[in-house]
Amino acid sequence: MGIRFDSIREGEELPVLTKPEITQLQLIKYAGASGDFNPIHTIPDKAREAGLDGTIAHGMLVMGILGQMLSAWAGPGKVLKFGVSFKAPTRPGDILSARGTVKRKYEEPGKKLLDCALRVEDSQGEVKVEGRATVLAE
Amino acid sequence: MALDLSYKGKEIAVFTFEVDRSKIRELCAAIGDPNPVFSDPEAAKNEGYADTPAPLTFASLVTFCGCPGIWDLMGRMGIDTRRLLHAKEEYEYLAPIYPGDRLTAAISVEALRGGAMEMASFKTTYTRGSAPVLVARMTIIVPPAPK
Repeated sequence: MGIRFDSIREGEELPVLTKPEITQLQLIKYAGASGDFNPIHTIPDKAREAGLDGTIAHGMLVMGILGQMLSAWAGPGKVLKFGVSFKAPTRPGDILSARGTVKRKYEEPGKKLLDCALRVEDSQGEVKVEGRATVLAE
Repeated sequence: MALDLSYKGKEIAVFTFEVDRSKIRELCAAIGDPNPVFSDPEAAKNEGYADTPAPLTFASLVTFCGCPGIWDLMGRMGIDTRRLLHAKEEYEYLAPIYPGDRLTAAISVEALRGGAMEMASFKTTYTRGSAPVLVARMTIIVPPAPK
């Protein structure tokens, strides 16, 4: 039940995932779940001490949102490689969308592969995370 | 404190972590990912998995929960953890990770650069038994301290 190689064309957009607004409570939940207790994500005073104007989201939460989109599209077990660069901080109140494009389809012995360019941006179009993934198709 | 470049190429931590079904659910809940493949074993089996697989960014949880001393380890290397920025995170998936898996993770310093913009890159290999299941690379940067 994966992606059918023959039905994909290069340049095709992946289904967009738009998330509800990021909240401070979500950052607290993410800290507890992930074990990343860097206080710049959860305690506004600590974030200001670090030179920020308030808390910022864990980069890994934003990557996780991209992973949600990728998993919904391809299935988590079909993703062979997934990497991101963090471009701009996400703050409570931001509304994020995860997007992707199939850049290249190709075959290797016994494998049909899709290379995808990925990004997460906010409702103003600011890119928060840029990424790429290699996905196994059928 | 300056970055201690002698850490380059060294292994800085080895730890084990048992993958727990509730940690998978908790991570998905925090991300807001309702995909039943991560929470419902029947849904996962219908998709061809042996059980509910770990989501794509689970390795980060394994490191922070399995090695909570990671910040101190970075501090010992001379990294100012109050100012560090996460620049990159990259995963190579070799096999699905499932609830009940007992993973061993080894973190090594792959690259280290001093100077005005310090940079460190860590490679973590997660193995189950003798088989690697995931390789993660994390790059952090430390911008210059404000004058």
